[in-house]
Amino acid sequence: MSYAPSPAALEKIEGTIALYPEKPAALLPVLHIIQGESGFISAAAEAWAAAKLGLRPVRVREVLSFYTMFRRAPAGRTTLQVCRNLSCALAGADDILGLIREKLGIGPGETTSDGAVTLVTAECLGHCDHAPCLQVDGVDHGPVTRETVAALIEELKAHV
Amino acid sequence: MSENGVRLLPLDDDSWRLEAYLRRGGYEAARKALTSMAPKDVVAEVCQAVIRGRGGAGFPAGMKWSFVPQGGAGPRYLCVNADEGEPGTFKDRLVLRRAPHALLEGMVITAFAVGIRTAFIYVRGEYALVSGRLEEAVAEARSAGYLGPRVLGTDFGLDVIVHHGAGAYICGEETALLESLEGRRGQPRVKPPFPASVGLFRSPTVINNVETLAAIPQILAHGAGWFLGRGVAKDGGTRLFGVSGAVRRPGIYELAVGTPLRQVIEVHAGGPPEGRSIKAVVPGGLSAPVLKADEIDVPMDFDSLARSGSMLGSAGIIVIPDGTPMLDVLHVTARFYAHESCGKCTPCRIGTSWILKAVRRLRRSGGSPADLDLILRLAEGIRGRTLCPFGDGAAMPIRAIVTKFRDELERAVAR
Amino acid sequence: MSGLKRVGLTIDGLKVQAAEGTSILKAAEQAGVVIPHFCYHPALEIEGNCRMCVVEIEGLPKLEPSCSALVREGLVVRTSTERVREARKDVLAFLLAEHPLDCPICDKAGECRLQDYYDRHGLTASRMVEPRERREKKLAIGRGLILDRERCVLCTRCVRFLRQMPGTGELGVFERGLRSEVGIFEDAPVDNGYSGNLVDICPVGAITAEDFRFKTRAWFLARKPSVCPHCGRGCAVTVESVSGYPLAKGERRVYRITARENPAVNGFWICDLGRDGRRDIDEGRHARLMKAGVPVAGLSWQTALADVAAAIRTVPGPERSAGIAVVLNGRLTCEELALAKRLFVAGLGLSKVYFADRKPGSADGLLLTAERLPNGRGVLEAGFAPRLPALDEIAAADVLLVFGPYLSEHLAEEALAKAWAGIPSKFLFSAHEGPLDRLADIVFPVAVPAEKSGTYINVDGTRQTFAQAVKPAAGVAAESAILAGLANLLALDAGGGDAR
Ligand SMILES: Cc1cc2nc3c(=O)[nH]c(=O)nc-3n(C[C@H](O)[C@H](O)[C@H](O)COP(=O)(O)O)c2cc1C
Ligand code: SF4
Ligand code: SF4
Ligand code: FES
Repeated sequence: MSYAPSPAALEKIEGTIALYPEKPAALLPVLHIIQGESGFISAAAEAWAAAKLGLRPVRVREVLSFYTMFRRAPAGRTTLQVCRNLSCALAGADDILGLIREKLGIGPGETTSDGAVTLVTAECLGHCDHAPCLQVDGVDHGPVTRETVAALIEELKAHV
Repeated sequence: MSENGVRLLPLDDDSWRLEAYLRRGGYEAARKALTSMAPKDVVAEVCQAVIRGRGGAGFPAGMKWSFVPQGGAGPRYLCVNADEGEPGTFKDRLVLRRAPHALLEGMVITAFAVGIRTAFIYVRGEYALVSGRLEEAVAEARSAGYLGPRVLGTDFGLDVIVHHGAGAYICGEETALLESLEGRRGQPRVKPPFPASVGLFRSPTVINNVETLAAIPQILAHGAGWFLGRGVAKDGGTRLFGVSGAVRRPGIYELAVGTPLRQVIEVHAGGPPEGRSIKAVVPGGLSAPVLKADEIDVPMDFDSLARSGSMLGSAGIIVIPDGTPMLDVLHVTARFYAHESCGKCTPCRIGTSWILKAVRRLRRSGGSPADLDLILRLAEGIRGRTLCPFGDGAAMPIRAIVTKFRDELERAVAR
Repeated sequence: MSGLKRVGLTIDGLKVQAAEGTSILKAAEQAGVVIPHFCYHPALEIEGNCRMCVVEIEGLPKLEPSCSALVREGLVVRTSTERVREARKDVLAFLLAEHPLDCPICDKAGECRLQDYYDRHGLTASRMVEPRERREKKLAIGRGLILDRERCVLCTRCVRFLRQMPGTGELGVFERGLRSEVGIFEDAPVDNGYSGNLVDICPVGAITAEDFRFKTRAWFLARKPSVCPHCGRGCAVTVESVSGYPLAKGERRVYRITARENPAVNGFWICDLGRDGRRDIDEGRHARLMKAGVPVAGLSWQTALADVAAAIRTVPGPERSAGIAVVLNGRLTCEELALAKRLFVAGLGLSKVYFADRKPGSADGLLLTAERLPNGRGVLEAGFAPRLPALDEIAAADVLLVFGPYLSEHLAEEALAKAWAGIPSKFLFSAHEGPLDRLADIVFPVAVPAEKSGTYINVDGTRQTFAQAVKPAAGVAAESAILAGLANLLALDAGGGDAR
């Protein structure tokens, strides 16, 4: 297995690295770019990023596994992030999450068998005045209701 | 609300543009500082205004800047803390979206005062889209000469780099933020040394919250006395109070520091919805110990809330309505800290998870009131014993929930 | 940093002086007050993660970690108040809640900090009733090291050591919170010449060596200081052996060699070559006198040495210089070299005194030197000009005395055999088996450095005297005894004057 970013991603990566006084500081942004393009970060990509930044691959693994937004395996076409911290919990986040689980037939951390949706939970998305809230591929939604969530899921399922 | 005609937050949705900001007198405070003041006078002015850190710890910003050693050849850095992960907190998001130039102007003034030429804005990963406007604002400001090599035509230069986190609450802790920014796991550093002397890339570094920096231009524009006068004696200015939970109008309210909590909730946020009442309030983000309904007649400033056994923190107010099982609140709280502990130090790494285990047992049938004592003992094993303040931030609210709602929790367990 | 100001403070009632910038933990240690800790290591960057080292400082509301808190003028520190003991107990209770408590089958038992502190703090069974996390217990991380993640207390000493010392950084911490774990990246194992130190510095039994696993129990081992003979550094080591064992073939006597602190030479570390030196002590050893390559029943040391003396005596005084050749080595101690000098050069007047040692390797820039002998400086200081003999220089001798098996590393075996065939008397004094064995008339089994006492001078000129760390087997003698014995025999024979 090997990894190489697209020319466009490579250019972005190199531009990003140039911003920082020390190369390793660009690790998070570089991983974001890789994941943005590939959907996840493979071991080969970790090794590639390490070489690019003059790091040992184990340093990349340390970082990758620390932050919740990085993925080491492919995810669904859409990632649904459901907030369940206090403000959202008070507004019925558990109920919303239950509905989503039921509709998708998967639990948090899982991907539907058709590869459409990956479901994850989040600890406070900073959108508390729009509770209960969720993010669809990083886009904020909220306050959501059972109805809007049901509609959203139909839409995501249809989206290929 | 706009008593003196000066607000951090513009009202209209288009206010984030440079043009709109300039119309409101934007960048005039920076011009004043850069063209008519010496850096040390800027620091002195900000010290006098007693603007306390809006990130949660409430440390006076001017004093923090004065700790940075002057002279010496190496670089110094400014890090803007836009990690906003404290549950119930969503104020910095609004600044980034509606007043990014206020932040940038505050950064210019700060950098000028401390002798900094490079600044990083550490934005939490989940705000990647939110920070789109910020990034546009940076570009706008650079091309208009408010950032870059010659700010406002002077020989003072400032580079601003927007950096994105990747999902870790602990990166809001200032030294964890530095580690993360350097491309490592976001784990707090031991202090000493303090960031003011050894910070980002081993250089002297100032770390301030978004809201703190965005308020700095007001101090320069209107003077320290004016700013201090808008708050209370040891805590100047206005704050962005975020209200969520059981209120009619959840949102951000910019109000004088020291505004009574009850007033923020009942007058500004409209109080609980029809037919509901307040059971408890988290006054300053999840790390702030909960207040019972009869404890909310407290001024919203750092010292007053500390006296009431809680903290102002990030001023994120969560209103818990009647009928909410406190066991659920306890569970959400315990789960959050177990999930977010960085794992570096023993008491927090193991303690937060064992508290969660005990809370889960309470929620299943097998628990007993003795587990509440166990939770308190575990929390005591964490409180005051950890490497960074996260430990206290976890132990204190958990202790408050268990002690203040012990009867209810015991009844819930007995069932 | 010798110009640092010194400050005065009080630790447990003792007045203590320490250099500015010293941690309280270090200052306490210097005053003889030991503060329990896991993550602190004097040679590694401070991490402050275990929270075991907390102390009370007068005037401060919270307990402070003594590993990172620095001394200040006038501080009043207390290291074992009720509050401090409570805090330590809590840390231990947390660690134990996530620990498998498999001490009965753990190699570290008996020298584990967790076990030690647990006993000292009188902790009783865990108050937690939930199951702890299950983790990988037998992860091979390279170089024969096994990682047990259930025992790991996440002190990160191992991670920091690899980053700072060999600089190879193979280990990292993955995940976060309670799921944090030490690991290697994919199939990039620990692979450096200092890996064995990980076993020494892991404060618990999370990193163990396959070479030692389940072989014995720590408390059966006798620990004796010695100096590593495998390169010119002369690192301080501890030789850990089961005492009272006879040396039978294949039997393990020395279970391991560990690093011993010596700031002047090796700091806290030794290289894997030196650590593996335990094999040098137990494996491939000569245990009995041999003639023509086979043990001879009933041959005594006296008789055998008398044979050597007799052979020497056959060469008349004026011809000795050309007729007797001696090959020494840089593993001999300074004392032995002095004896050799007296006997061979001053006493017998020999000019053919050569040296043969292990072939040089390459220096690794840390501890391991290119030269692979411990006493090269000692050889020079004794007044020798060490030189490898050419084949014909040996072949011309009537009597050949060779110390050490190393000639065969430099000269082809067949050529050596041919050269030796023409020498009337040849004797080998060697600790280890080797190709020369079958060529010598008599092979004398000699001691390895760990079995001797003496002095070595390392590459930097540091002189280190060491005592015997393990007893040699019954049939084995140190070269010092052999040289003294020979001198005795020859002096007696020569009436005390002739030999000179
Ligand atoms: C666990 C933890 C999380 C924190 N999160 C944030 C945060 O998201 N944003 C922030 O500005 N400060 C946060 N802080 C406070 C920072 O450590 C630091 O005090 C602050 O950024 C300083 O800026 P200020 O003085 O302007 O408030 C956090 C502190 C802790 C201990
Ligand atoms: S208190 Fe928690 S978050 Fe802070 S360093 Fe320790 S483990 Fe990490
Ligand atoms: S393996 Fe040992 S040295 Fe490494 S972190 Fe775990 S306990 Fe510490
Ligand atoms: S030795 Fe001080 S925290 Fe571990």
